[in-house]
Amino acid sequence: MTLLNFFQLLVSGIAMGAIYTLTAKGLFITHLATHRLNFGQGDFLMVGAFASIGMLTAGVPAPLAVLGVLVLMGGLGYLLERFAIRPLDRLGDRAGAYSWVLTTAGAALILQNIVELGFGKSAQYAPPLFSKTRDNVINILGVGIFFEEAAIIITAFVVVGAFYWFLFGSRWGKAVYAVAFNPEAASLFGIDVRGVVVLVFVLAALMAGISGVLVGPLVSVHPHMGLIFTIKALAVAAVGGFTNPVGILLGGLLFGIAEAFSNYWDSAFGDLYPLLFVMALLAVRPSGLFGERRADVR
Amino acid sequence: MPRMPRLAIYALAAVIIAIFPLVAPNPFFVHVGQTFAYTAIAVIGLNILLGLSGQMSLGHGGFYAVGAYASAILATTYGWPLTLSMGVAMAACLLAGFLVGAVALRTRGLYLAMATLAFGFIVEIVAQRWVSVTGGTMGLMGVPQIDFGNFRMGPTYFFWFAAGLLLLVQVGSDYVFGSSIGRRLNAVKESESFAATVGLNVPLWRIGVFAASAALAGLAGVLFAHQSGFVSSDAFNIRLTISLLIATVIGGLGRSAGPLLGTAILIGIAEAIAAVHDIGLMLYGGILLVVLLLFPEGAIGLFGRRRGKSAAAPDAVPAFQPAIAGAANTGVRLDVEGVTKSYAGVVALRDATLSVEPGTIHALIGPNGAGKSTFINVVAGLYAPTSGRIRIGGVDVTDLPANRRARLGLVRTFQNLQLIQSVNVLENVMLGMERRHGLAADVLAFLGGSRHEARERAEAASILAFLGIGELAEMKPRDLSYGHRKLVELARAIAQKPAILLLDEPVAGVNPQEAREVARIVAKLRDAGISVLLVEHNMEFVMGLADRVTVLDFGNRIACGTPAEVQRDPNVIRAYLGAVEDAA
Repeated sequence: MTLLNFFQLLVSGIAMGAIYTLTAKGLFITHLATHRLNFGQGDFLMVGAFASIGMLTAGVPAPLAVLGVLVLMGGLGYLLERFAIRPLDRLGDRAGAYSWVLTTAGAALILQNIVELGFGKSAQYAPPLFSKTRDNVINILGVGIFFEEAAIIITAFVVVGAFYWFLFGSRWGKAVYAVAFNPEAASLFGIDVRGVVVLVFVLAALMAGISGVLVGPLVSVHPHMGLIFTIKALAVAAVGGFTNPVGILLGGLLFGIAEAFSNYWDSAFGDLYPLLFVMALLAVRPSGLFGERRADVR
Repeated sequence: MPRMPRLAIYALAAVIIAIFPLVAPNPFFVHVGQTFAYTAIAVIGLNILLGLSGQMSLGHGGFYAVGAYASAILATTYGWPLTLSMGVAMAACLLAGFLVGAVALRTRGLYLAMATLAFGFIVEIVAQRWVSVTGGTMGLMGVPQIDFGNFRMGPTYFFWFAAGLLLLVQVGSDYVFGSSIGRRLNAVKESESFAATVGLNVPLWRIGVFAASAALAGLAGVLFAHQSGFVSSDAFNIRLTISLLIATVIGGLGRSAGPLLGTAILIGIAEAIAAVHDIGLMLYGGILLVVLLLFPEGAIGLFGRRRGKSAAAPDAVPAFQPAIAGAANTGVRLDVEGVTKSYAGVVALRDATLSVEPGTIHALIGPNGAGKSTFINVVAGLYAPTSGRIRIGGVDVTDLPANRRARLGLVRTFQNLQLIQSVNVLENVMLGMERRHGLAADVLAFLGGSRHEARERAEAASILAFLGIGELAEMKPRDLSYGHRKLVELARAIAQKPAILLLDEPVAGVNPQEAREVARIVAKLRDAGISVLLVEHNMEFVMGLADRVTVLDFGNRIACGTPAEVQRDPNVIRAYLGAVEDAA
């Protein structure tokens, strides 16, 4: 491996890692507030990618297309909460403990089918978002990297920054943490708990949608790509321990970089090694690399 | 109401299995029957996992695939005899189940859902890409079929074989649901602390049921491989797992007969969907949502709710005599020596020393935040002490987990009640008991009919009567008053035959009359030789009952003596009355 190769793999890894981080943030925030999450998060990403491809190829200007995707995804997030999550609360004990896993997975199957009917089953590429051609290479310190990848990395980090501001700097972020700590107490303080739950699911869908827009130009897009992204986002969130948002950022980048290099090293099964590593890690350190473990004593 | 012995029902099922292929109008029916039989085996495993132990798996298609490939490859490529290849394949699934289960062993269900999802995905990818071994999407051809050497009768024999295995697995499932195993899995599902308190090794139970469930999925896969003689990676994508899950929830989660109904419905749906292939995924997803949100009890729930065992009320409830386990009525002592417990730098308990003499009641009191709960949790084994030793009858148990201590006769009740909501009061009490006889004898009693667990039921009923709440036996814990739930916890603890009993605020929130009743009962337990460590705020209760009293304040022991001595102690008076904020 030449040094040049090394840097190019590193940049590609960071680009994918940033996208995994974004997707995992959505899982993190719903899990934080509700102890539930969307097992179709990757399928939401897929919907975002297809929506963006559909609009871009139809000639909608990129900023408008991104806005359209965000509106669509926000609506999907709301619908998911309204029809796959909220009814379970009404069932109380009659709903099994992990029914939400299956209701969100069921919603994902419906989305896959709809996209399949609209776009067909074959793989597609999104047109580049930030540059005119896919292979627009820029030169940084003598290393040529794809302009598209660099722009995607920058965008992803801007979104992650906005996410942190929301979580730690805004009133809403405090409300999310209050609901996470104790929903009943939060409602006594005048926090609209239901509103916060809807908000986190909408946010999660938005994160998936942005990831979908960004991933479109990087990988081939097809209606059944979601599962892989769900699995990888879950793995990244687990490395961060589901409790530590900074851990998820580091975990996502590490995962993306590890994947880029292991794919280079073994093109047949390279994408599996980081996953296997995460599973082994969880067996040894169940709270992830950056999480804290709390004892279960009542 | 006289019930048909289970054995008769199973015999009837066996007869139906025997004649079905002979009267089936054409081979297609036999083929569907075969598919039903092995699919139902996988669904039964999933139902026990989800419905009883509350663990989620999104990777059972993976175990199914491992079973199918292992047996197919060994039998085809390496020419092993089928009996051997099938056995090894199931062992492989069991092992895979242990490994995947281990990932989620110490964490909550979300991680298991994630790990299983990843496992199923990895298996699918390996099956697709490792073409030299698995044949990939082109498949592995010429896999030997199970026809016992008779090609013409092969499908019939295969049906008998698969349906016979299904019958065995269903009997096993009925037994699990109807015996102490099912109760214990419910306990593990609802409260790990409770399960450990009644002596269950929670990680072992969780991983054990997961591996068993994986092995059943593997058995289904093995049968699948040897049904058609062709195995391709296309058969094992995520849709297989989703189908098995749909059959589980559509039949009725957590009911032993659910999988049979669910599998039948699934196969019906699969046949119907073939005509509208384009919207198959949408239908599957829609079915999952509709069933889970509108019919969470599944199809079997439409036939009425689960009856509690028609409890064949014991003929006469014998009077309960408390007695400690073991022959000698000498009692067992508990010694806590210099125990310190700190949480991230905050010292909750400092160098606490206390001995409960055999057959006495030792009370531990102190203002709120004194460290009493920490103390009891350290003694019970739910928290590990930072330093110090704990001995039961002179034996050092400091390094033993809670469930091992429970088996040594150290039994506790909880301040925040831990009762299992999915079983009734009587069965909550029975959770405290050991199984009376060996597994084989218990299975035989179960097959025989209504006398199964009759003695356990009678004993549990007598304990409830002893506590004056015999009439509550058939109720669910959540329907009881707080005071009654406390008494049920006490009954469960008594059923464990404690040598040492830790009571964590047994009369908090209980009315004065009930408190006097509890005092009378605890005194009787002591008189039977049981050593009692009592944590309680109700001073009238403590001073009237305790032989010795230890007082804690801010993690330190400030007094120890008889109730009269402690009441005179100036340190104690200062701790309770000296500071305004300690008025409670």
